[in-house]
Amino acid sequence: MSRPRGSLLVVVGSGGVGKTTLAAALGLLSARAGAHTLVMTFDPSHRLKDALGVGEDARGREVEVPLVASGKLEASLLDTRRTFDDLVARYAPDEQAARRILSNRFYAHLSGSLAGVLEYMAVERLFEVAAGACYDRVVLDTPPTRQALDFLEAPERILGFLDSGALRIALKPWFDERGHLRPTARLGLIGRNVEAFLDRIVGLELLRDMAEFFQAFGPLFDGFRRRATEVRALLRSPRTLFVLVSGPGEERVADTLFFARRLREGGHRLGPLVVNRVHPLVDPAAAAAAGEGGVLLSWLGERDHRGTAALRSLLSPGEAPIELPLLPDQPTGIDALGELADLLDRLLGGLPA
Amino acid sequence: MKVGRASADAAARLASRQLVVVTGKGGVGKSAVAAVLGRMLHRVGRRVLVLELDPRESLHQMLGVAPSGGEVLEVEPGLFLQNLQPRKVLDDYVREHLRVGPLARRVLASPVYRHFAAGAPGLKELAVLGHALSMVEAGWMKHRVRVDVVVLDAPATGHGASLLAAPGLAAEVIEHGPFGRLAAELSAFVSDPARCGIVVVTTAEEMPADEALDLAAMLEARLHRVPELLVVNGVYPPCPDGPVERDDQGPLALWRRRRAVNDRELGRLRAAWRGRLAELPLLPLERGPALVEALRARLAQTLTGAAVEGTP
Repeated sequence: MSRPRGSLLVVVGSGGVGKTTLAAALGLLSARAGAHTLVMTFDPSHRLKDALGVGEDARGREVEVPLVASGKLEASLLDTRRTFDDLVARYAPDEQAARRILSNRFYAHLSGSLAGVLEYMAVERLFEVAAGACYDRVVLDTPPTRQALDFLEAPERILGFLDSGALRIALKPWFDERGHLRPTARLGLIGRNVEAFLDRIVGLELLRDMAEFFQAFGPLFDGFRRRATEVRALLRSPRTLFVLVSGPGEERVADTLFFARRLREGGHRLGPLVVNRVHPLVDPAAAAAAGEGGVLLSWLGERDHRGTAALRSLLSPGEAPIELPLLPDQPTGIDALGELADLLDRLLGGLPA
Repeated sequence: MKVGRASADAAARLASRQLVVVTGKGGVGKSAVAAVLGRMLHRVGRRVLVLELDPRESLHQMLGVAPSGGEVLEVEPGLFLQNLQPRKVLDDYVREHLRVGPLARRVLASPVYRHFAAGAPGLKELAVLGHALSMVEAGWMKHRVRVDVVVLDAPATGHGASLLAAPGLAAEVIEHGPFGRLAAELSAFVSDPARCGIVVVTTAEEMPADEALDLAAMLEARLHRVPELLVVNGVYPPCPDGPVERDDQGPLALWRRRRAVNDRELGRLRAAWRGRLAELPLLPLERGPALVEALRARLAQTLTGAAVEGTP
């Protein structure tokens, strides 16, 4: 097959459906097809980390996975310990500006407890990788979330909060340019009421810290916003394909369809729908012979297949989901991943373009 | 019911909490276990509120009722369900504390408040925990309903730990005013093991087990808390002895292999877990009240050592 030019595969799905393992297998498939591939992972298990060779030294940088393949496979682990501090240090106009932010009390609280930081860091890392443009294909595992698409929305929420324009202006009336409290503040009726409320609730000290933070952060904000915008464009580009992974069973069908629709409505290209960890259908005679476990496995097989059938009936023939069987244990070790990659290859008819 | 004191402790202890936080990796069945715990505590005579945070409501199916729509819904006398959206709690707080209608409306509509409420770190967690506390003790907000214990179906692992850490962090930054006081009060509430119990849910598979152990380590290091119970969900039944043929793809082989994985992980978990551990079996029942009742009976049996109770 021809080598892709800078294509991106994004593996999305709720927590616990097997995204990380599938992302690794897709990466392997891609390398075997001759592409220089990077797999970016989030929460690989200890054994998968070993298999891919993404131990501690792969935090924040790419490590080559030793393989026999015509292409090359690298893997990286998003470093959850890398915080906003690194981003601030990197993008601040100078050291003094960085220090002003990093020593701000409100910032210290913010960077430690901001929900969605992991998703945000993923976006920043993706930007760096895409800008570097040295891979034929990137396979992006997404952070484990209850909602399959939190990955897309969390960065926007953070940026919304950091939208220093709105908040800087709001806090402006009390504080001068250097964050000192004005001796008297003449505020309009509306301004006084909203900010007075915040003052009463969280205190002037905190508001001053916040004003100072937003002022200090101002020069960086545009860069953050610009990068996030570029990544959003990348996620909607024709070179990007989303692989939606779901668990088996009828109760997940509604959610899966919901996420598929949301992805499409958001302007993203949706590729194969994968129903993962499907119990096999069991021959009734074999089930009877196997006692309690046979009854259980028979029931599970029925349940899982009803689920996929329900999903299939609600999609057009061209969108038919593929089913991956439940493996007794998660595949780890390059050989086991290779078998999964072979299976994906057969079921998908090659890597989705 | 005569039970030895030691074996009654685990169930009785849980029943004496004001807040039970249920967390664990995504996909392990936290919601089912939250419903099971809710039913179990209700069965021993507690007034219980089961609180769900997922914007897409689903706990109601486990309890056999219609969606709560965000309100406190009575499932049975003394058992309540609510799907809680933090944003709604914050907005209700504004309305309650800014009694002047037009002023409250102006605040709620202002972009500053909206950005703040949507993104300010820790605020949503404070809102959720504050709501839980106010359901068991009057104070921050006044509710029509009072309960003895709140069972919180918390977000998956990392976020679950953030939920518990949020009040402490907020208390460091917001020192004054009602939110400062709330943060301090909530920090004391969640750090007190007598008042707030942590239940971690996992399956007997490698990645969830890894994550459960990591979570316990993180809770201990960061919050000096030890989860009081680990529920291992979806365990395959024990298998008849016999070797597994390499090429055997039949149901018996899959069962044996899955059970072998379960045994391996259960061994790992038992060796490392400091608190109590309870196994729940994989059952041929759809998610719903029948499954919850069957699991409730098993969990009660495990925690108290009593015989399985019949249905009333």
